[in-house]
Amino acid sequence: MLRGGGPRFSREAAQRPILVFENIYKSYRQGAPVLRGMSMLIERGEFVFITGPSGSGKSTLLRLLYRAETVDDGRILFLGRDVAKLRDDAIPFLRRNIGVVFQDFKLVPTWTVYENVSVALEVLGLPHRLIRARVGEALQRVGLAGRGQDRAGILSGGEQQRVAIARAIVGEPALILADEPTGNLDPQLALDILGLFDEVHAAGTTVLFATHDRTLLEVRPRRVVVLGEGKALDVREGMLQEEYDYPVTH
Amino acid sequence: MLSDSTARRARRGMMREWRLHLLSVCSLTVTFVCLGAALLVVTNLRVVEQRWAHAGRASVYMKEGASQDDIDALRNALLRIPAVSAVRFLSSGDARMEFGQHEIQGKSELAALPVEAFPASLEVEVAPEMPDSELADMVGKLKQLPAVDDVETYQSWTERLARLVRGGVAASALLAVVVFMAVLAVIASTMRLALQRRRTEVEVLKLVGATDGFVKKPFVLEGSVQGALGAVGAIGLLAILFLLVRGKLDLELAALIGVEPTFLPWYVAAGMVALGALLGAMAALASLRKLVAI
Repeated sequence: MLRGGGPRFSREAAQRPILVFENIYKSYRQGAPVLRGMSMLIERGEFVFITGPSGSGKSTLLRLLYRAETVDDGRILFLGRDVAKLRDDAIPFLRRNIGVVFQDFKLVPTWTVYENVSVALEVLGLPHRLIRARVGEALQRVGLAGRGQDRAGILSGGEQQRVAIARAIVGEPALILADEPTGNLDPQLALDILGLFDEVHAAGTTVLFATHDRTLLEVRPRRVVVLGEGKALDVREGMLQEEYDYPVTH
Repeated sequence: MLSDSTARRARRGMMREWRLHLLSVCSLTVTFVCLGAALLVVTNLRVVEQRWAHAGRASVYMKEGASQDDIDALRNALLRIPAVSAVRFLSSGDARMEFGQHEIQGKSELAALPVEAFPASLEVEVAPEMPDSELADMVGKLKQLPAVDDVETYQSWTERLARLVRGGVAASALLAVVVFMAVLAVIASTMRLALQRRRTEVEVLKLVGATDGFVKKPFVLEGSVQGALGAVGAIGLLAILFLLVRGKLDLELAALIGVEPTFLPWYVAAGMVALGALLGAMAALASLRKLVAI
């Protein structure tokens, strides 16, 4: 269940897939749908690359998940709850369970590194001492230990993305969404950042990594979902259908 | 309730946008000076009104042919009234002399007035606590007497003063509405600018799961502080002006109207600060409605 509302633990919920997209439709302009009956299922602890050409709906898919957009039709079940049906005042609680990393980092340049990361815990109302400890751990995990008092605006692109990752993981969310997080970085930095996401995933967090950079997809064998013509195509086609009787290709 | 986090974020916002906030506070100070000045005028008019509402005296003007016996009889009758503390006879000559001392020194036209222009009178001192109705009753009876020409209690003057005070209060209320609109406009503009400059901050906050309340609180606090500081600035400015003016005019004013000028009472000043804080918070809240859409 989402943090901040409903029961804290349910055995049944713990066994459900973390994410289910059911027949999702979304268009920004009439007659030009981005997603057309897209369905997909993601298990807990998976690392999934979402790829596809520009305009295929990768970012839209992620935005629908953290309710920056709403679906026109269909269901998105996150931890068993339909994201599309959440009331506006429940959206913050959804977002506390999802860490998001963007291509443009989305940091406040005038804030320090510490402030940019700690904000994710401040909204939870945690005590300062705990926030300090957890921010320190997060910065250590992304290789920025001791940089807490640096202004975010003076950091390099790679460092800023590390801060953004630290902010995404500091609240220990169930799911991390990465929207082209390496798009502004050179190839070596991109690999370093991908390595960070690997570490986050290794700790048990589900990761959805949207990218159109094919070289990243070839680094390690991962599940890859290709978005095209408004639908999701799993490159290991058939696997999910066999295991869960859940249609992923159309 | 305000948390540490709200206060810290508000302080951080104000420090980083200090120029914008200073400009806003200065604009609000100018606005509140108008309201404060009007309240200052009303305060002093009220003091004058209170001073003169119970002036404690009446002048009983005698007819030209009134004899000394009539005057003595009337004086004795007046002295028997419990609320009358003293009665002094002022002959035409004495009245001419008093008027000459106070009013017409060096003014040849007035100095040339004949002694008949100043009727003889009985100057009656009444206790300040004497009710207006009782005084009016006494005046009515005195006017019936054949030796009495007219009675002046200065009531009409205090009534005019009261009307002036009421007018001042109405003008202040009107000014308060203008101030209300101006404060809303100034703070709403400041907040919109601040929001524009801190859009990324708001986006980040909403991204990490901040509720609308969490996002809005520092802005509301900033608006409230701006409003309160604007009012404090206005009171400070008025106090300085008041001290400068009072040093030069208080003796003249005291001689002319019988009272010394007074500054705004503490509760009026505190009310202005509270009004500033409240209006600031309201303006900030109103300008943050669109925040939900971010």
